[in-house]
Amino acid sequence: MPRIFFATDLHGSEMCWRKFLNAAKFYEAEILICGGDMTGKAMIPIVEENGHYTVTIAADRQVVSADQVGDIENQIRRKGYYPLHVTPERLQELDEDAEKRKETFQQIMLDGVRRWMNMASEKLRGSGVRIFVCPGNDDEMEVDDVVRESDMVELGEGQVVEIEGFKMISTGWSNHTPWNTHREETEEKLRERIEAMARNVSDFSHAIFNLHCPPYRSGLDEAPAIDADLKLLHGGRALRPVGSTAVRQMIDKHQPLLSLHGHIHESKGAVKLGKTLAINPGSAYEEGILMAAVINLDAKKGIKSYQLVNG
Amino acid sequence: MADTTMGSAGSRPTLFLRNATGLVKAWSTFDAFVYSFWSVNLITLGLYGMSYAYTVPDGQVLAAILLFGVLCTFLVVTYAMLVSVMPRTGGDYAWQSRVLGGGLGFVLSMTGWWFTLFLWAPIYANILVVQFFSPLAYTLGWTGVATFFTSQTGIFVSCLIVLAFVSIVVTMGMETYARIQKICFWIGIGGLVVVCGLLLFASPQDFQNAFNREATSLFGAPANAYQGTIDAASKTFTGSNFGSLAFGPLLLLLPWLAFYLLWPNWGATLYGEVRGAKDIRKPFWSMFWGLWVTVALVAFVVILINKTIGWNFYQSANAAYWNNLFAVQGAVAPPVPIWPYPVMFAGFLVNNHLFQALLIIVMGLWFFGWAGTLFLSSTRVIFAAAFDRVLPSWAANISAKRRVPYGALVLMIVPSIVISAIYAYKPDFTSVFLDATAVLALTFLATVVAAVVLPWRRKDLYDASPVARYKVAGVPLITVVGVITGLFLLFMLYEWSFNGDNLYGTSLQKTPNSVIYFVATYVVAVVIYVVAFYVRRRQGIDLNRIHHEIPVE
Repeated sequence: MPRIFFATDLHGSEMCWRKFLNAAKFYEAEILICGGDMTGKAMIPIVEENGHYTVTIAADRQVVSADQVGDIENQIRRKGYYPLHVTPERLQELDEDAEKRKETFQQIMLDGVRRWMNMASEKLRGSGVRIFVCPGNDDEMEVDDVVRESDMVELGEGQVVEIEGFKMISTGWSNHTPWNTHREETEEKLRERIEAMARNVSDFSHAIFNLHCPPYRSGLDEAPAIDADLKLLHGGRALRPVGSTAVRQMIDKHQPLLSLHGHIHESKGAVKLGKTLAINPGSAYEEGILMAAVINLDAKKGIKSYQLVNG
Repeated sequence: MADTTMGSAGSRPTLFLRNATGLVKAWSTFDAFVYSFWSVNLITLGLYGMSYAYTVPDGQVLAAILLFGVLCTFLVVTYAMLVSVMPRTGGDYAWQSRVLGGGLGFVLSMTGWWFTLFLWAPIYANILVVQFFSPLAYTLGWTGVATFFTSQTGIFVSCLIVLAFVSIVVTMGMETYARIQKICFWIGIGGLVVVCGLLLFASPQDFQNAFNREATSLFGAPANAYQGTIDAASKTFTGSNFGSLAFGPLLLLLPWLAFYLLWPNWGATLYGEVRGAKDIRKPFWSMFWGLWVTVALVAFVVILINKTIGWNFYQSANAAYWNNLFAVQGAVAPPVPIWPYPVMFAGFLVNNHLFQALLIIVMGLWFFGWAGTLFLSSTRVIFAAAFDRVLPSWAANISAKRRVPYGALVLMIVPSIVISAIYAYKPDFTSVFLDATAVLALTFLATVVAAVVLPWRRKDLYDASPVARYKVAGVPLITVVGVITGLFLLFMLYEWSFNGDNLYGTSLQKTPNSVIYFVATYVVAVVIYVVAFYVRRRQGIDLNRIHHEIPVE
């Protein structure tokens, strides 16, 4: 019976992606699912000048030689950022031109995704392991095309896929957030999107909903309260449910066996919503820790067992 | 969508940030400070804890407070660094289990944050009685109510009130309670200004006159109750000199001060929910200022008590009250049969019972702004253990409608009611409650040990953290501050456990009930872990695997 390894919100952390691929062997999992938001949030310039390289990571400015640049790049990727090699002139150009920054960011980000897809092929081709990726609201639409090019990784978005007797539907779209990211829509449209996939599922006792956004008021969707200026309120300790009512309604209506979520990194947990086990493994990508869920499925029992891990 | 340029080294951009979920602006250090400030509550916990300082008559309280502040700062640095390396909900449990191992982490942290917190419910209830119900009732002339709350049933009712209040706060959620805390903070600070103003501008003679007047008016005490209190105390107490500077007694005061000053890190179990906690400055400054503002205010209040109330009288009143309550041989009842509450004493300086009652109510907000967090950290630790599958999954369940963590609440409230009943009706178990501070200190010690070895046990994690660059003579700073904190905690644990005079009422040799209770809690924690381990193994879950790092290459 399939053992699923589910992780989400890697946000460009190459260390987490490497662990994700190695999790198949480590946990003897046949199915790897990456739940979305795989691309990074920032790029860090490495400025080449007079034979040395200048970079600032977490407010720590370093000047390094050419043979140290590889280490610096690894440090940057580990945190989920993209290293960007530039001359001082190019840096100034990017600083002044938002359009060029956008183009550069997209290019470097898609190169990063391509690099990850190649790693997956090198690592797991011929292993029998299936890998699913479903880009999340933070991932630009172009990411889907790069995933489709992969000969190893399957794109989940909008699909109904068969996994050893279980059917999985996936979407990385979310309800609206204060950040106006790439895959956001109204609750009504999100509900229609999920319902359209759910129509192709006949037996929900063997169904998996892989929906990036967690269900509203489930305990998996508690994010720190912020004001209109995106400033954290009450020392960051005040939490509010920010999940999707559409996701909640779809789970309540169809009662799938399992629902997998991410999006809210701080809201790690596993809860029962009626017959559905809903899981958000959380995310600690910045530390290079891969928070994930290992789920053992059974054709008769449904979910035989599950475990949240910090690999 | 790359639309933000951040940071600069000289005039150059150092980071290009795109628009993405969760990119928020920093939280206010002041807001976090308020939470930390409440945890080392100067009035509620502080005055209560300091009322035991009479047991070390030659101990210089002012110097001890400052020394404690310095030593506790190392604890603050250690915890701030841990938060920065691993901002995890569950705090001590998460750090201990990830660094020292799942089983050890569970046993050490659960005994502290779960089983020992049961003991704090009746302690809170007793504070509520002596600082709120009892003085308020006496001031309003409701002698019957005041007497009821000092009875066994009254104490138990107070326990139930505390537990109900805590449950309501947990149900309301932290956002609502944070608002309540802020209101309590500002009004409470206003009340403290009034108290300090009264003590500052009154003379010792003013106070003696006021005390004698109210002792007769409110408590029916004979004339000159001021001297009567000192005389009553003298049967079991040799008197106290504020000017004494002997170093040994000063050190012996530290375990008493721990009762309220050891908790600036109380909110560390919640930092996993706080974005931006990786930046060490935020958790550090919030805990640091929480500690040091309290230290400064306590020092000021102590100076005012010495100036106006008189140090020897204040300590005599404490000695007379506690020694009579604990039935110390030779002790006699003081003329004013109530816990010596400096706020009430300050109120006596105004000859108006309505004003005095109002002052007690206002200062009572120091209790209500603080007590709600009693089980907040515990629920987070229980959640973390449930997510790790050591506890049943229902322990982390939250009700759909009101988001009440009913599983964790049941695990806290039900045993707390039983423990509260024991506290109220079985005085033989008093020593168990006096140990409540020590067991939490032991939990902190385990976390500190985890911090000391962190750079070697979780090298990758540590090296990637922002604190890895801080070193002292090549040794990681977290290890250095951890060792100093560890020695500080070990000193206090030694005194709590082995003090030859049983100064703290917790010496192992003289308190068999405490030893049995706490050994039992560790045994129960071990049993829970072992049972969980085998039950989960039958389900195909290996608890050892939770924290195993997946190879990168």
